[in-house]
Amino acid sequence: MALKEVKTNDKHIRNLANIVGGARSILYHKEDLLAYDCDGFTIHKHLPKAVVFPKDTQEVSKLVKYCSDNHLPFLARGAGTGLSGGAIPVNGEVIISLVRMKRLLHVDFENRRAMVEPGFVNLKLTNSISDKGYYYAPDPSSQYCCTIGGNVAENAGGAHCLKYGVTTNHILGLEVVLPNGKIIEIGKNGIPDSPGYDLLGLITGSEGTLGIVTKITVRILKNPEAKQTVLAYFDNVSDGSRAVSDIISAGIVPAALEMMDKTAIEAVEAAAFPVGHPRDIEALLLIEVDGISAGINEQISQILHVCENRNVREVKVAKDESERARWWANRKTGFGAMGAISPDYLVQDGVIPRSRLPEVLSRINKISEESGLRIANIFHAGDGNLHPLVLFDARIPGQTEKALAAGSACLQVCADVGGTITGEHGVGIEKREEMRFVFTDEEIKAQTDIREVFNPDNLLNAGKLFPSPGRCAEIKKEMKEAAL
Amino acid sequence: MSITESDVKERPACTTTSLSNYRWSDPPDENKWADCVHCGMCLESCPTYELTGQEQHSPRGRVHLIKSVAEGKLQVNEQFMDPVFACLDCRACTTACPADVDVGGLIEEARGQIRQAMPLTGYKKAVSKLFLESLFPHQQRMNALGRLLKFYQKSGMQKVVRKSGLLKVMPDHLADMERILPDIKEPVRKKYKGEKVINAKGETKHEVALLTGCVMDVMFSDINEATINVLTRNGNDVVIPETQTCCGALHVHAGEREMGRNLAKQNIEAFKDAEKIIVNAAGCGCMMKEYAELFREEPEWQAKAQDFSAKVEDISKYLHDTGYEKPQAEMKTRITYHDACHLAHGQGVREEPRNLLLDIPGVKMVHMPDAERCCGSAGIYNLTNPEMAGEVLKSKMKNVPEEVEMISMGNPGCMLQMAMGVQKYGRNQKVVHTVQLLDWAYQKEDELRGERDGIKRSQNK
Repeated sequence: MALKEVKTNDKHIRNLANIVGGARSILYHKEDLLAYDCDGFTIHKHLPKAVVFPKDTQEVSKLVKYCSDNHLPFLARGAGTGLSGGAIPVNGEVIISLVRMKRLLHVDFENRRAMVEPGFVNLKLTNSISDKGYYYAPDPSSQYCCTIGGNVAENAGGAHCLKYGVTTNHILGLEVVLPNGKIIEIGKNGIPDSPGYDLLGLITGSEGTLGIVTKITVRILKNPEAKQTVLAYFDNVSDGSRAVSDIISAGIVPAALEMMDKTAIEAVEAAAFPVGHPRDIEALLLIEVDGISAGINEQISQILHVCENRNVREVKVAKDESERARWWANRKTGFGAMGAISPDYLVQDGVIPRSRLPEVLSRINKISEESGLRIANIFHAGDGNLHPLVLFDARIPGQTEKALAAGSACLQVCADVGGTITGEHGVGIEKREEMRFVFTDEEIKAQTDIREVFNPDNLLNAGKLFPSPGRCAEIKKEMKEAAL
Repeated sequence: MSITESDVKERPACTTTSLSNYRWSDPPDENKWADCVHCGMCLESCPTYELTGQEQHSPRGRVHLIKSVAEGKLQVNEQFMDPVFACLDCRACTTACPADVDVGGLIEEARGQIRQAMPLTGYKKAVSKLFLESLFPHQQRMNALGRLLKFYQKSGMQKVVRKSGLLKVMPDHLADMERILPDIKEPVRKKYKGEKVINAKGETKHEVALLTGCVMDVMFSDINEATINVLTRNGNDVVIPETQTCCGALHVHAGEREMGRNLAKQNIEAFKDAEKIIVNAAGCGCMMKEYAELFREEPEWQAKAQDFSAKVEDISKYLHDTGYEKPQAEMKTRITYHDACHLAHGQGVREEPRNLLLDIPGVKMVHMPDAERCCGSAGIYNLTNPEMAGEVLKSKMKNVPEEVEMISMGNPGCMLQMAMGVQKYGRNQKVVHTVQLLDWAYQKEDELRGERDGIKRSQNK
């Protein structure tokens, strides 16, 4: 912990250290760098050249300019909780960690907006304004620790995005350091719908390939007047998924409509936040409605009715806030809970039309049988955003490749039924090849052309988001054949 | 030179090798890290990650590094030691972890390997040797230290030293500690020496054995006294086994697992006749509940350790479970409660001490934000890593509500550290142990009853 000098023959390390103010703000020893060789996606690992910790936009700009002038590949990282490998330094990048830029800069209750630095943790925003009756809507399950900067990069979703929309619907303005070190401000003064191209929409979800976001103005919302949460247990998956469609068809827009299958329930019940779900049910739904008090009870009784029509075994409404919180903690820690039943997992993120849920789930089940790997399903059923979790053990030779192939096959199913390959986790390095399931070469080129404009040397987060031309598709195919 | 996608090499998926660089017995347990899926839910719970923003100083980062040594990717060296020893061992990550990864256990096992690979040198060695080897396990020496401290206070020397500016030549963190030395009283082990049983007041419902602790009995013997009072008042006969010793927590935190094992064995023997073992120091209680962990390579002792651990209970939890008399006297005070890490995260005891306090008439509880956040004491962490400990304390003190008169908690290490915080940041709260408050309430009740009886008697005359 003591203040150490930067001792290395590498002049780049020394120069980068000088920009950020010395040894406390740079890591370059292998032992420290290893902690940065992957993010929440652990299948690929690669050491960065260094990790630097700037404290403000100016330092980010200088770092970026230095990397750009010296042809050093670089990328931005927040809490490193991403699930598609967007922050993995596959080219030995200099990682620009934004976690020390974690201030809440300004809250403007009157205009319902707040400005944060990129390292500010998602949930902390809600916690900072809840006493005034406000909150920040996008709530990825990792919201306890993920940063808003990372949310912007991935256009993160969350359980409550069914009603409130994903991150992009809540971003009013950004300050961005471009890959040449220049600083631009878009969405000036947080006024939505500025003239010109929709750069806010372009940057949000660009997975850190177009620039590094250093300030973010977000929309904040008034807490709903009332909130009710329902838990429903089903003896078969198709009844559960039909209930999902029925609820939406009944004209209700739940704030959240989540589903877990049997394997997922096994994991969360074996893990740190069990709530005592029966182990022999095939599916559960977690349904939340919110809004003005009038009408909430009516919606709840409609939901109960729908569930009963679909042969629900048991359905209950949360008694109080603490019960509601327990149900949500159980759901939101679901991915991490896989550790309790499997040494490794790979989570997919396909989106499908809601009406195809029963069919897709049974096809995923088939993939699981064929690959011999268990697949758990925890997902945002309301918006058809699936999260098949492929369970495997990386220590067993060949299992990782099998898991990758099974994950890819799940995405193929999603694409086949008219859906897409990612809803909120991003493409990263994980789903690069699967981009071909949903885009033609021309469509992909239209996108990489845009990247060229911002990131002409492709030094910023190279090798993410888009498939490699030609070659990789073949490798992937071979890999799949070898595995199956 | 620009990078094209085709330059991006497809890296083989991670594989584990058998080239472990843990070369000593009792290495970190593979099954513990197998539970970690690197999700990152632990990050925000970790005080050292909060302060540094660096992932090698985060729970999942540390687990990743510990695993990497086993995979042969890292050596057990200085660079590896830094993150492993900078951990406060506060266990907040185990509360946050969705998969119940035993990060604390891994850290302690890794420290054991590091200590064997790289024995301590210099100042740290001196501190470690003095406290761990020469002091804590030896009751006589601890008592002698107590007498010395008492002499230091009573003789007026403390005043002289404080006035003379001698403190200025001590390292800052030691000078800070001197300022908060509690008043030294007679250790209970000495006081009750020779007494087989301290009898319950009234009918005996249970018999319990008390761990008096090493630091506790010297620095805070009044808390041990309060614990005995509260126990006997509630129908417990109290036994203080003669041959008990230091619990070994500090040794195990420091990677001195062999010393820890020896102390554990001595305690397992000392308490073998006890039905319940009552502990009033969270750190000790947590350690004693985890003795089995030390004996992974000695099945016979492991079984004994499991039986032993099943009998260990924190005083607040014990009172809560077996019932206690609600005090009648009013204590009119505003307090806040600090969760000792090894009580809340280590033993899952959170509500029991709070309820106990709320059962005292007139006690008003003010919520402390982030009450479960470590105070930086962390065993002797505040001696070995004073800089980080100071930063952790600083953020803790910010959360202590201004309007309270007392801060209650269940661990002596925290009490010293929080007292230091109160002193350092010019606050005026009294730092107390939960059972002390209950004991005071009982005492006040007795006094009032005594007065009432006195008045009645005089009226009857």
